[in-house]
Order: sequence, then structure tokens, then C-alpha cells
Amino acid sequence: MDAESLRVLEHLTEVEEAAEDVLTTKQQIVDLDLKRNRNREALNALKTEMSNTENVKVCFGNIFIRFPNVKTREMIQRDQEQLDKEINDLRTGLRAKVNHLNEIQGKPELRGYNLSPLSSDELKSVNRLLKR
Amino acid sequence: MATTKVPEVRDIARIERIGAHSHIRGLGLDDALEPRQVSQGMVGQLASRRAAGVILEMIKDGHIAGRAVLIAGQPGTGKTAIAMGIAQSLGPDTPFTALAGSEIFSLEMSKTEALSQAFRKAIGVRIKEETEIIEGEVVEIQIDRPATGTGAKVGKLTLKTTEMETIYDLGNKMIDCLSKEKVQAGDVITIDKATGKISKLGRSFTRARDYDAMGAQTQFVQCPEGELQKRKEVVHTVSLHEIDVINSRTQGFLALFSGDTGEIKSEVREQINAKVCEWREEGKAEIIPGVLFIDEVHMLDMECFSFLNRALESDLSPVLIMATNRGITRIRGTNYQSPHGIPIDLLDRLLIIATSPYTEKETRQILKIRCEEEDVELSEEAHTVLTRIGMETSLRYAIQLISTAGLVCRKRKGTEVQVEDVKRVYSLFLDEARSSQYMKEYQDSFLFNETQTAQMDTS
Repeated sequence: MDAESLRVLEHLTEVEEAAEDVLTTKQQIVDLDLKRNRNREALNALKTEMSNTENVKVCFGNIFIRFPNVKTREMIQRDQEQLDKEINDLRTGLRAKVNHLNEIQGKPELRGYNLSPLSSDELKSVNRLLKR
Repeated sequence: MATTKVPEVRDIARIERIGAHSHIRGLGLDDALEPRQVSQGMVGQLASRRAAGVILEMIKDGHIAGRAVLIAGQPGTGKTAIAMGIAQSLGPDTPFTALAGSEIFSLEMSKTEALSQAFRKAIGVRIKEETEIIEGEVVEIQIDRPATGTGAKVGKLTLKTTEMETIYDLGNKMIDCLSKEKVQAGDVITIDKATGKISKLGRSFTRARDYDAMGAQTQFVQCPEGELQKRKEVVHTVSLHEIDVINSRTQGFLALFSGDTGEIKSEVREQINAKVCEWREEGKAEIIPGVLFIDEVHMLDMECFSFLNRALESDLSPVLIMATNRGITRIRGTNYQSPHGIPIDLLDRLLIIATSPYTEKETRQILKIRCEEEDVELSEEAHTVLTRIGMETSLRYAIQLISTAGLVCRKRKGTEVQVEDVKRVYSLFLDEARSSQYMKEYQDSFLFNETQTAQMDTS
């Protein structure tokens, strides 16, 4: 292959890699959200269907361990916070990745997405303007 | 009884009005900002197009604001065309406001008010809206009502996307919301996480066969993809003037004053400026300086010019592009002479782009472009004749003849405009030079004739 086609190939590889990166991050967010929803279901079940004194069986890897209800709840809650943080980080990173992909594809950059959002009060006041 | 009003359909021949600059699609520059001889409807004027291109790039990158550009040249040399070209190539993201110099004189509004509204229309504010929503297709709703009829209801809502499915426990309030929106299995809904507001997007395609009879409003949508709990970001661009208008009415967020006089109180403007600057400091808003184009700028008077001087210095100021065809003339409303009819102190702040008359070849090309735009076929000889007319009289007159000659040609059921058609309309419609010639010959027979009249004073 001559230098020109090598260069094209290299560029295409770069684009493909960036695109793959975006897709992976998206899938990761989906997976984490799935876990977050399962945790939420578990928390609800622990709250409504069991008394606080009962022990519950918790699955760790491939073994079940009996654990006090209150302790389990705390554990899941902590997990939940961790998940929230992780999803937020991924979403922030996703924006940079999409911008990078656009850049190497020669598409214009998405403008304005790096702004911080308006608060709900402010939004309410400009809403009539936006919902024209 | 109220009957629905059916719009009357009338059968009239569709007349398409074609604006004088409808053929302009951009400035016709290549990537290195070098002008191409004929491109995007632009012909010739290479130097001025290149200058306009440099300014355009700076505007696009947001490098200049509060600057003013003057496009000066004889009538019919493409000043408005260049301004249109700038407007077209700015793209939808940058605000562009155009007005003619005489538009600001109105009884409803003071001149400076009209000008400041135009200024504020040309400044965009970019803001972002961010909401956390839960979006999914309803698989099942289960609501348990207590047997006694009173007391708290409990329920469960199962939502799914293409990737996952989950169960939400419902409280009393959510159940009320859901029943008010008449949400049922198969609907695709979004729930705003912050406010708990539920909105129905439509019915899922997979449930399309459940009912045969349904209202026309029922919309079918795909089952949402990806995660259930999404973050939705929308970026809006609004102009400062729009924010002004909303807040000068009674129920605005910052509203302090009422009244619909059409004028906006300067207090309101100051408040908006302060708020927008605060948003900018907090990283909540971006200010996009746009372009304000004032055609026939010599129609403005002294007060307007001093207002412009002042307005250009404010920190929320767009790029001002002005066009004029005057040489050294009196400034409107004064007895002072000045180049372009613009006071020297304002001229000093301007970047001036000059346009020059078109050559014969360029005139020929412009006429060809206009013929295509107006859907008129022109024979080679007629084209040459028209070009001569354009050179000897004016380009505008030649362009006027295109559509009229086209009509004459259609009348005699021809497909291509011939020299005879052009000759016919040339004899039917006078150009400016012939018209004044006629006046001179027959001036004694006209009414209210004054032989010694000086030239009409327009200033």
C-alpha cells in the first residue's frame, strides 16, 4: 500500500476507535442503570415486605449469606450512591468523546453543551419563550 | 350553534414573487477565503467579497463584537447582495437582523427605541436546559384500592426499554397523576424526576394491534432505547429582545413594570443585562454577538448616529453592517457635508468595504444567473443585447427587463426570449436616462413644472 492509502486507513481506524469508545460508554451507562434499578427494587422490597428485625439472604458472587435487614439496606444504599456518581462521570465523559468523534469526522462541534444548566426557577421564567 | 369554519379553497394562479437577491446563497469563497469568480450566486466584486469573508470568519468565531462595517459603492454594485451573502453563510446559529434606514421612523416608537430593539434582536443568548427523566413503555400498572374506599392507595408500575425492565412502587400522588393522564399499559411515558410530572409520548408500536378503533390523535412511537433514567439536555438560543419582551409584560419572572406601549423601559433592559451577565459569569449562558444590517444608512439622522456611537461601545453589542450609495453629501437633519452622509466621528470607527461597478463580462453572468432564478430562457443574441442594455443604462433596469421580456415571449407562445422580445419591452418601459430625456423635451406640458428646480433634496 502506498502512503496515501495508509493514511486513509489510519484515519478510518481512528474514527472507528472513537465511535467504538462512544458506543461502549453508552452501553456501560445502560448496564449501570440496570443495576441501579435492581438495587432500587431491592430497597423497596426490603422496606415494604419485611420487618426490620428479620434477616435476609444476600447473594455475594455464588454464595448466599444471611444478613440483618438494616445492614443490607445500608450496604445497598452505599452501592446506589456509588452508581449514581459513576453514571454521572460517564455521562460527562461521553460528551467529550462525542465531541472528539465529531472533530475527527470533520463535523461541527456541538455548541453550548458545556454550559451549566439553568436552575428550575430560571427555566420556568424563560419557558414561555422556549415553548413557542 | 358553532360550526367549524372550513377554509375556502380558491383556485388562483400561483404567482411566485422572486426577490431581487433570491439567487444569493453565500459569499462564494473557498476554504482559504479566496473568492471564486462565479459562485453561490455571486459574480465579481472579488476584493470586497474577500474583505467580507474575513469579517465573516471573525464573527463566526466570536472574535469581534461591537465593530461596525460600512459597505459603500454606487447604486447597483452589489452592496445588499454582499450583506445577504454574509447572512446566508452565517448559518442558523448566529442571529442576523436586517432593517432599512427609513424603518426606524415611526409614530409608535422613538427612533432610538427602534434602533435599540434592532440591536437587541441581533444578540443571541445560548442557554441549556437539563432534566433527569425516566422514559419507558408501560408494561403494567397495578393499583390496589383499599376496600373501605378511603385511605392511601398503593400500586406498582412496570416500565421497560429495549434494554431493561423494572418495577416502581407508586405513592398516592403518583397514582393520581397516572390516572389523570389516563396512562395505560402500552403507553410510552416520561416522568420528570424533579417535579414528578408525567407526560405521554404516544403508544408503543408493539401494541398497535390491541385496538382497532382509536382516535386520530393516537400517535405511535418506538419503545425507547437504552437506560430508563436518562439525562436530557437541550440547548436553546434566544435573542435578548425576546427576553426583554417577555419580562416587560406583567407576569414575567423579573417583571416589575406593566404596560404594552411597544417601548421597553430601560430599567427592564438593564435588569436583563445584569441577569444575562450573571448567567455568563456562572457559566450558564453564552452570548452570541450577531449581525445587524442597516441598509440605506444615510437615511439616519444625527441623533441616530450619536446613538450608534454610544451603542457600539456597550459590552453587549453585535457587529453592525451598514450600506450606503451616497458620496459626499449632507448629514440628514444638519447642514454639514460629510462622506457617505455619515458624521466623521462614526466614520472613524468603521471598516469600509468599497464595491466597484461591474464589467461587461460580470454583467453578462449576473443576467444569466437571474434568468435561471426567474425561469426565463434567453437566446444568445437576446443575452448580448440585454448585457449591452445593462452596461449602458443600469443593471437593475436590465434585470427588470428579464421577467417582462419573459412575459412577452410567453404571450407569443415562444419558448426562448428573442431579441424582438427584448426590443419590445425596451420600447415599452423607459429606463432612467430616457425618462429624464423625455422630461426635458416635454417639460412645458407637465403640471407644476418649475424649470429651474434644483435636484431633489433627499437629506
